[in-house]
Amino acid sequence: MSAVDSRSAPARPTPPGPPAPPAHKRRKRRSSTSGGGTPYWLAVPALVMLIGLLGYPMIRMVVLSFQNMRLRELFQGLTPPWVGLDNYTKVLTDDVFWSVVLRTVVFTAVSVVLTVVLGLAVALLMRRVAPGVRIAMIIAMMFVWAMPQLVAAQIFRWLVDANFGVINYMLTQLGFDFENHSWFADPKQGWVVITALVVWAGIPFIAITLNAGLTQVPKELIEAATVDGASPWQALRNITLPILKQLIVIVTTLSVIWNFGLFTQPWVIRDGKPEAEYQTLATYAYSVAFKNNNYSLGSAISVITVLLLLFVMVFYIRQMFKIGDVD
Amino acid sequence: MKRKIALAAALATTLLAAACGSDSGSSGTPNANASVDGKGKTLKVWLMVDAQSGWKNVVDQANQRFTQATGAQVQVDYQQWGDHLAKVDATLAGSDVPDVMELGNTEMPKYVFNGAFHELDKSQYDNSANWLTGLSAPCELEGKTYCVPYYAGARVLIYNTDLFSKAGLKPPTTYDEVVAAAKTLKEKNTGSKFSAFYAPGKYVYAGLAWVKGSGGEIAKKDGDKWVGQLNQQASQDGLTKWADLVKNYSVGDKTKDEQDQDPIFAQGQTGMMYGSSWELGAVQEQPKDPNNPESPKVKTKVNGKVAATAMPGIPSFLGGSNLGVTAKAANPELAAQWIKIFTDTQSQEALIAKGALPNATNLLDKAAAVEGNKASAEAAKNSWFVPMAPKWAEVESANVIQEMLTSIATGKATVADATKKADDQINTILNS
Repeated sequence: MSAVDSRSAPARPTPPGPPAPPAHKRRKRRSSTSGGGTPYWLAVPALVMLIGLLGYPMIRMVVLSFQNMRLRELFQGLTPPWVGLDNYTKVLTDDVFWSVVLRTVVFTAVSVVLTVVLGLAVALLMRRVAPGVRIAMIIAMMFVWAMPQLVAAQIFRWLVDANFGVINYMLTQLGFDFENHSWFADPKQGWVVITALVVWAGIPFIAITLNAGLTQVPKELIEAATVDGASPWQALRNITLPILKQLIVIVTTLSVIWNFGLFTQPWVIRDGKPEAEYQTLATYAYSVAFKNNNYSLGSAISVITVLLLLFVMVFYIRQMFKIGDVD
Repeated sequence: MKRKIALAAALATTLLAAACGSDSGSSGTPNANASVDGKGKTLKVWLMVDAQSGWKNVVDQANQRFTQATGAQVQVDYQQWGDHLAKVDATLAGSDVPDVMELGNTEMPKYVFNGAFHELDKSQYDNSANWLTGLSAPCELEGKTYCVPYYAGARVLIYNTDLFSKAGLKPPTTYDEVVAAAKTLKEKNTGSKFSAFYAPGKYVYAGLAWVKGSGGEIAKKDGDKWVGQLNQQASQDGLTKWADLVKNYSVGDKTKDEQDQDPIFAQGQTGMMYGSSWELGAVQEQPKDPNNPESPKVKTKVNGKVAATAMPGIPSFLGGSNLGVTAKAANPELAAQWIKIFTDTQSQEALIAKGALPNATNLLDKAAAVEGNKASAEAAKNSWFVPMAPKWAEVESANVIQEMLTSIATGKATVADATKKADDQINTILNS
């Protein structure tokens, strides 16, 4: 929609105000529905798919969270009995649940901050290096981005293996005593490993997106500021970041949503049996539902997770609308 | 005369009833002795991967005999142990259900209790009067039988004969001798990677075996409720002994479980370890390609230098698997017949030859005669089993015992605190 317009607007030296738009476009500015029903009809196939693939399971999950479904109902196809808000009460008064929420929130905060800061740093670097080096950087990051989470997690698991891992070996060679060191006995060290994995996998997307955003920062502005005596940090803070602000907000919100639902990495790194200190909301919901066969309780936890995430989504949607309003 | 007629009538009615009962629909008891024409039908069997890597010939000969007897084909799917219960749950809830399913004996009670398997007629299966209780108890519910024991495994002490002879040690016959041997080995081998007794911190059936060895219990039924017994003094004593071994004589990641203790032992830097009887073979030969169990085997560093003996003072957990006819099976009678053939004496003897333990006590002596199996056959006679609670499998999947053991092994919690926490969790789960 209008997002397309905003991307091309700042770079072109156009006369003030939009160039005389063709008649139909001017009509569109005033009333968004005057283009006829075509946009809606075009969106219908995608909507149908979304409702089918996501909507139906969501509804089933919400319904399940108000029932009490166990293994017997699963095997014999019985209708699970209604228990109202029992599951929610159980979840919200459970200490274990709140410790899992706290852990997930802390992890999300730390990993998103690290990913965005490091991603921005890499993007800034990409703007400064020669085009050949930049392409090499992009190719390297593409490989990282393309690697499936499962494969990356397995590799990290072997890297830090206590008996056979390369990292322990190298650290021992360097003189530190890391022989047979277990990286997961202490949850703090274990989370360092998991966070490193998540940040490493998340940097390429942030870096490449912010790199695209950085191309929209007019070079003349930066040059003028430097001539006027601004230091690089001041230029970054006062010119680059404000221009990138919307993009950074979008990228941060996406990262928060993805990292909040962390499942694969702790699951694989702890070999399918994450200890209590390694449980995130997603792994906890799965464990409760499928390991303890308490499908309703797991559904309640998932619904609460979705509600928490919706809260974050508000920012993302608001930002999307803001972009639509900008010229 | 009248009494004789009455008797004859009663007998006839009983026979008639029995005949009608065996003419089963999907709700009756599948008759393993019925002659069913299976031409054109394919029986779907789910076995665990141990059969594929350990005794494929037993499966093949059973399939051959079955096809000869009934004309039906058999399709065997081998499942991995890791997280297989989630797959089992999803499959049993659906409509495309295998006819025969193998489950571990600790997992069976949950499924039997929730109606996943057909009732079976115990008397139709070989050696059923002598079934090992560790295998048959999970199959029984309210006097009815819902599955058939398949094979058993016991744990033994596996030691490096080379290191023992270099240190002048003989195979230990008491628990104190085990600890003394570990001490001697540790003094004589000072390499940083050397474990006199490799004991991973998350080894559930080792930790619990030590509990039992000191006279402790895991959980007892008190009236209607289950009460965890790990916090009792005897259990704590056992765990303290186990923790001593882990902390003083085992080098390695204390949060690991026993999955890779064979490759570690195979490197030749381990004096002793506690493992299943078939691990004796696994440490001496490994498949060339770890991802392909069918690839040719290569000898490891410790080939020919390993022996097994019964673990003194520590009763072994009786591991093993059972086979059941699923409630939604498309061919329950064929399934019952296949199980009968697969667990009869002929198949069991082939199984014994491959190093597994049979499902009945009368066959244990034959198993003891097989090279390398003497230790485990002895161990099986003095074995224990987990509490017979329908929700025991949930205790396993909730990692209660694993977390208790690792917190003791890493020193994060004292034995008293860790066992109290585990008891509370066991009480909650078993009584929920």
